[in-house]
Amino acid sequence: MTPFIPAEWLPVVFAALMAASILAYVVLDGFDLGVGILLPRAAEEAERDRMIAAIGPFWDANETWLVLGVGLLLVAFPVAHGIILTELYLAVALMLVGLTLRGVAFEFRAKALEPARKRRWDHAFVGGSLLAALAQGWMLGRYVLGFAEGWAAVAFAAMAAVGLAIAYAFIGAAWLIWRTEGALQRRAIAWARAAIWPMAVGILLVSAVTPLVSARIFERWFTFPEVFLLAPLPLATAALLLGLANLLKHMPLPGDALRRIPFWGAVVLFALFFAGLAWSFFPYVVPERLTIWEAASAPESLSIILIGALFVMPIILAYTVLAWRIFGGKARELSYY
Amino acid sequence: MDALILARIQFAANISFHILFPTVTIALGWVLVFFKLRFNATREEKWMDAYRFWVKVFALSFALGVVSGITMSFQFGTNWPGFMERVGNIAGPLLAYEVLTAFFLEATFLGIMLFGFRRVPGWLHTGATVLVAVGTTLSAFWILVLNSWMHTPQGFELREGVAHATDWWAIVFNPSMPYRLAHMLMASALTVAFLMAGISAWRWLRGDRAPAVMAVLRTGIVMAAVGAPTQLLLGDLHGLNTLEHQPAKVAAMEGNWETRGHVPLLLFAIPDEQARTNRFEVAIPSGASLILTHRADGEVPGLNDFIGEHPPVAPVFYAFRVMVGTGMLMIALGLLGAFLLWRRREIPRWLLRGYVVMTFSGWVATLAGWYVTEIGRQPWLVHGVLTTAQAAGPVPAGSIATTLVMYLVLYALLLAAYIAAIYRLAAHGRLAAATPPGAVPQAKESAA
Ligand code: HDD
Ligand code: HEM
Ligand code: HEM
Repeated sequence: MTPFIPAEWLPVVFAALMAASILAYVVLDGFDLGVGILLPRAAEEAERDRMIAAIGPFWDANETWLVLGVGLLLVAFPVAHGIILTELYLAVALMLVGLTLRGVAFEFRAKALEPARKRRWDHAFVGGSLLAALAQGWMLGRYVLGFAEGWAAVAFAAMAAVGLAIAYAFIGAAWLIWRTEGALQRRAIAWARAAIWPMAVGILLVSAVTPLVSARIFERWFTFPEVFLLAPLPLATAALLLGLANLLKHMPLPGDALRRIPFWGAVVLFALFFAGLAWSFFPYVVPERLTIWEAASAPESLSIILIGALFVMPIILAYTVLAWRIFGGKARELSYY
Repeated sequence: MDALILARIQFAANISFHILFPTVTIALGWVLVFFKLRFNATREEKWMDAYRFWVKVFALSFALGVVSGITMSFQFGTNWPGFMERVGNIAGPLLAYEVLTAFFLEATFLGIMLFGFRRVPGWLHTGATVLVAVGTTLSAFWILVLNSWMHTPQGFELREGVAHATDWWAIVFNPSMPYRLAHMLMASALTVAFLMAGISAWRWLRGDRAPAVMAVLRTGIVMAAVGAPTQLLLGDLHGLNTLEHQPAKVAAMEGNWETRGHVPLLLFAIPDEQARTNRFEVAIPSGASLILTHRADGEVPGLNDFIGEHPPVAPVFYAFRVMVGTGMLMIALGLLGAFLLWRRREIPRWLLRGYVVMTFSGWVATLAGWYVTEIGRQPWLVHGVLTTAQAAGPVPAGSIATTLVMYLVLYALLLAAYIAAIYRLAAHGRLAAATPPGAVPQAKESAA
């Protein structure tokens, strides 16, 4: 069959879809994992229950964005998928172990009848969330440097790992500010305050290192007139960080005003950071090695997927909105019945 | 050990672990719909009790299915890069459709199904339960389309060694798909039937006389009585289809070395691939010929026609007997239970013990069945197109071995925790059904 959009455009469309799914994953599972990382800071069991109740109905659908993102990489750019996942083999395996522990702990802790057993699954929940976040940050660090070898690259990846875990903790705290109230909400505000500047340092580091290691990326950012077109990106990031930090200082506001702002602010932050990375690396899927056109599968297969995606995506979005509305507002007791 | 063997063991371990949970969720989703509808129709509390208990088992199985499934979706790239390079144009869209049409659906409505009971109107909750069941079934459909296509590929052409789709209809409705799908869905139904019967029988034997226990036991027995004989029929049809497309596999299943008529049905034997013969045969004369060709002198293909290109015989041969043997036991227990329910309206204790023993028999038969199919198609990965060795990747053996050990330890622990959790829930059945898990009941033995 003939593709209904030109074959050279298909890889671009799929790269965009893939990037959108990965961003959706990072934001959505980011807040789940962040809540997991923050769990040990809760004061008592009831508070832990409340924190988990705030993400319980969402985590599974959130994680599905990872399946879609990796699926699109696999399906649209199979060669790149092979290279990237082979390079990151161990980190991927560790992430999967983390996600597994986190995912099953949800269920097992809800079914534990004795407090001691429930505590054990709480530990698995925290450990799994932290492991998954660190592994994802590590992968980001390795990817950004094009899988470079050497201690500097390893140190950078380690920093990215910690940075992403902190960023997840931040967005997790921001979610809790929105979805909880009372003492827990105040605690979440304190967590967000503590995480915001370390997160900013992480963003700065990755953004600064990327152009330094690649002349191509350096040129892309620091030549005339791009430098003016792109300046809004870092400026907006800085402004947003300052604004959020200031808002957090004054929260909680009377009548719980602006409770959603930290979360959506964090979403925009993540998106800005992501856009910067995308601008740096486009059109490479494997940095400096393989472009999206070199890696793409056959156009007829891509267009078959695209047709399906165009039909189904609106439906997915519709029922996602439905679920978010049903579980809107402050988290209540997490109960099946 | 070299990387290929390790990659195969790792893949087999992961998918074997994964399939345990879909096998439970696919049919249990529909059973929950049934409980919910019975409750809506009769307003009898026992159906809601049954729903409340089994929805917990469902949620637990679903979580394990999801996390192990995510591992699966990475396995293609990490362990079998050659697979996507050669047949990615076909596998890709099928996998993508699974994610788009099934995974988001089930994952999103699961949230509403599990946590939305007090927040949404009754019809929406029932609807969410239905959509989750639809989602798991759809997902089984797509993945089995892909798997069946790998067994009986068609609707494509090879250009420079890479498969390009020419006819999607032919790809989706490939010759073995209807049989494999039907057989797998029924395998799931039987797994759930015996899980429900086994757990309920265990509760009954421990003196739990909640009305829901009997209702679920009955449901399980009726499902088994209808499903098990149907599975025999479906399996027979499936075998005939395989005879047409993968004769070497059937020869291995039957342990038949020479192509000839009057081939006996081997109840037991020890196939010896070195000597190319069987030892200690226990056989029904002409049985295999009768089953496969419906004539006593019908010709059945033999392994010696495929020297060097047939699968390892012993694992296929034994696994097939484990599956069919389990199936026969299921037929016996299902029919007997149904008969006694009908005539005497109660089940004797010895039969209840039988159901307890058979609680996880569906898993045994399902895994055995998959081993027959998957080992039976070796050395091919995509029959006639791509061998397993060609698909392996460049990951060093050391990395695979490390992660393999990690996965195995994790899986052993999770499996033990899963089974323990189900029995613990069953032991506290009434308690667990009546109280929300968010507010954890203070069980008496918590002091211990
Ligand atoms: C016959 C059924 C069947 C088979 C053979 C497989 N799966 Fe599966 N899978 C399901 C039936 C299923 C399911 C019933 O739809 C699950 C189980 C529980 C669940 O949440 O969905 C699922 C979950 C599941 C998930 C998580 C979905 C989510 O986030 O909701 C992924 C990524 C995969 N699977 C991927 C695979 C891959 C790559 C397989 C093959 C190599 C595979 N599955 C074999
Ligand atoms: C769900 C139940 C399944 C089980 C229990 C299962 C089991 C197995 C086993 C035991 C092998 C190893 C055969 C050997 O190496 O001798 C294998 C091979 C394989 N199967 Fe499956 N399989 C299942 C489903 C699938 C599906 C749905 C797919 C693809 C869509 C698939 C793709 C493969 C591939 C790529 C191999 C080759 C790798 C290998 O030989 O280990 N399998 N499977
Ligand atoms: C009762 C008699 C049964 C017969 C005659 C039978 C027959 C078969 C055959 C011939 C295959 C191989 C398909 C192939 O060639 O690729 C198969 C596979 C399989 N069987 Fe059975 N089977 C029986 C019972 C069962 C039971 C009780 C279960 C599980 C509860 C089961 C689960 C499976 C599964 C999961 C597969 C692999 C997937 C597939 O290829 O369909 N079978 N069966």
